[in-house]
Amino acid sequence: MARAPLLAAREVSKSFFGNPVLRDVSIALQPGRVHALLGENGAGKSTLINLLSGALRPDGGAIEVDGRPVSRMTPACAQQAGIAVVQQELSLTASLSIAENIGLGAYPRRFGLLDYPELAVRARAACDLVGLHEPLSMPVGHLSLGRRQMVEIAKALYRRPRVLILDEPTSSLSATETKVLTELLETLRGEGIAILYISHRLNEVMALCQHVTILKDGTCTADRSLEGTDAAGLVRLMVGRDPGDLFPHWQPSASAANAISVRNFSAGLMRDVDLDIRTGEVLGIGGLVGQGQEDLLLGLYGAMAARTASATVNGASGLPSGVPKANALGLAYVPADRKREGLHLIHSIITNMMLPAFARLPALKLRSRHAERETARGLAAQLGIKGDLDRPAQALSGGNQQKVALAKWMPHDPLVLLLNDPTRGVDVETKREIYMMLRNFAATGKAVVLLSSDTPELVHLCDRVAVVREGRIVAMLERGALSEEAIVSAAMGAEQRKVAA
Amino acid sequence: MSVVDPSRQAGALYWPVQLRRNVGVRGLFAVVMAFLVAYGFLFPGLLTASGFAKFTQSWFPLALVAMAQAILMLTGGISLAIGAMVSLGAVIAATTMTGPLGVAGGAAAVTLTGVGIGAATGFIVVKLRLPAIVVTLAGSFIIGGAALLILPRPGGAIPEWLSDLLAGNTPAAFVLLVLIVLLWKLYLATPLGLSLYAAGENPVGAYRSGVPVDGARIAAYAISGLLCTGAGLFVAAQTGSGDPVIGTAFTLNSIAAAVLGGIGFLGGQGTMRGALAGSLLLSLMISVMFFLGFTPVAQYVAQGLIIIGAVAIPQFRKVQQ
Repeated sequence: MARAPLLAAREVSKSFFGNPVLRDVSIALQPGRVHALLGENGAGKSTLINLLSGALRPDGGAIEVDGRPVSRMTPACAQQAGIAVVQQELSLTASLSIAENIGLGAYPRRFGLLDYPELAVRARAACDLVGLHEPLSMPVGHLSLGRRQMVEIAKALYRRPRVLILDEPTSSLSATETKVLTELLETLRGEGIAILYISHRLNEVMALCQHVTILKDGTCTADRSLEGTDAAGLVRLMVGRDPGDLFPHWQPSASAANAISVRNFSAGLMRDVDLDIRTGEVLGIGGLVGQGQEDLLLGLYGAMAARTASATVNGASGLPSGVPKANALGLAYVPADRKREGLHLIHSIITNMMLPAFARLPALKLRSRHAERETARGLAAQLGIKGDLDRPAQALSGGNQQKVALAKWMPHDPLVLLLNDPTRGVDVETKREIYMMLRNFAATGKAVVLLSSDTPELVHLCDRVAVVREGRIVAMLERGALSEEAIVSAAMGAEQRKVAA
Repeated sequence: MSVVDPSRQAGALYWPVQLRRNVGVRGLFAVVMAFLVAYGFLFPGLLTASGFAKFTQSWFPLALVAMAQAILMLTGGISLAIGAMVSLGAVIAATTMTGPLGVAGGAAAVTLTGVGIGAATGFIVVKLRLPAIVVTLAGSFIIGGAALLILPRPGGAIPEWLSDLLAGNTPAAFVLLVLIVLLWKLYLATPLGLSLYAAGENPVGAYRSGVPVDGARIAAYAISGLLCTGAGLFVAAQTGSGDPVIGTAFTLNSIAAAVLGGIGFLGGQGTMRGALAGSLLLSLMISVMFFLGFTPVAQYVAQGLIIIGAVAIPQFRKVQQ
């Protein structure tokens, strides 16, 4: 450790709209080491990467290259220092070819013009490293998501980096592509490149990385060698407590009556699904991301075209034909992307809370501001949303935003609550409150459908979990059979498979 | 690693990339060809030297403004000041070229005005992060007003020899257009030019890749301004004098031509060859309908329906996929 790290952050802090996202976080990337960066969603990992790569500037602290602080880090400056980032959201341009995308921002030139022959040679070399054999002239828009991810990695390698930062590179890759990447990273590490690796797949991290930094709610909870740790220990550091403490005590409250019952239901990716949702239960929907779970909720909610052989929703036959109809039948939906779908960020908290009520009022009746304010105050007190309700919703932290997205449905007393990943990017304390609310909701005889990418949540909170794979429900796990292993192995389609965490 | 001989690969990137860009505009090219054939039947004079010259001259200014609009739309912007810029170019040419500045000085004044106003507009839009549509709407009032201040009523003059050279019985317009297209290809072969697409479609990604996004967008506005005032100079040469409101119709026609040519409003979608084909199609449509004896009102209606149809067809295809 005598050598200066190639790239380091020293006690950096960053806030957005007054919400601190990172507080005094330090990280040092050493040559020839794969450094894992772990943390729950919303812990500040992406922000830290953006600081290291110059896409954002820290509010406090410093970024150091080769031990020297850089006062104004920009992406161009990072590139010169040999720092390459494989972003989670792709940085590609669909209408440009593979080669033009790979060279973007660092084209070889001859007489001021782009040197296509040179670009072809260097782009081909980078593509060969990641096993990308499509013609270089093919527009990136024609490639599948996994192949685009490989282009993104080739783009980073093209720059011959000394520091390579990968933000969840394997989330859209196939098993073969992941294997190619793993071997490649081993080779690069041998060549003395510093690698920062972000992943939610702990078994990958355990196999590939030597050192780990763990972020929790914007602070660093661990900076240590991976030797002598196990996956469970890492999870404890990420969550900050034993997972069990997070969840309310489970008591059966399900009845035999069905709130929703569908046969041969198809919508979007979902194909011919039979599903009964009982009143008084929390039904989990699990599986790998993007297998059609969201289409299931949207189809039930009437927000997406759906077909069924037969359907009963709260006593009415047939699926709701649209969102107003679904609301009238007692359904409410809380979307995953609260910034774009769930809330109107620049409008006040009170307006956001009242929005579903506006839809129910006669169109030309005068609003009663006084009554609205009373209702909003009541909701805020009930859900623990603190502060002035006239502030824009974007002033709230992620967790409190989610509470507003939930609160707006409460005055309508919905019979079925359809939740799409409600705890994504939400701090631990708010998570606890949301879990408590959901259990109470079920206890009062209502149905909660919880789509979640967080497996512990499914295990500890739900009465039953439907695991979705490739548009079908491949397993319906009852309370007694619920475990993380059972859910993950059903999701992956492997009956017996050892999974870390 | 490189099993394939690099020298063989060398030539094998630029042209395949160019060929792939044709994929989206093949249908449009076919329609343009059909209209050209129809026009040739209706007006056999097209195949004579003077008929060809007249036809390219009627198309030329529309081709330039279509390019001017397409560049901006590729960056995710738009301009409502195209017509006013054309008018300004025309009055500057008509007031300077017969004066002490001469033709060369006048041409320089037209060029500097175009680049300067374009760059200033780009700076306001990009650096102050204001919506392009509002800035250029306000700009159209200012620029149009400036044109009226310079030349309150039609007048001024263009030297006769220049009018004869550009708009007489010569293929000068066609030669100029070929030259401009070649310059565009050259620009697109520079890193800054190609960055236009990335800056328009995925500005955040482009910025993170180290692309000078702001620079690429401001440069696009400057080039766009130059094309507009250049078109104004040509229009003044055609009419032999300056008219402070002659460009007005070009604003909406430039958008129509770009949209016909498959340029998307969201940035980074479409090709310049498409926009040029779109302007040719629009120009042909107007001529063909004129020869078929459509009244001007019917022409407008038909033009509007064709544009909506041209935008809707690819959309239908996308929905079906």
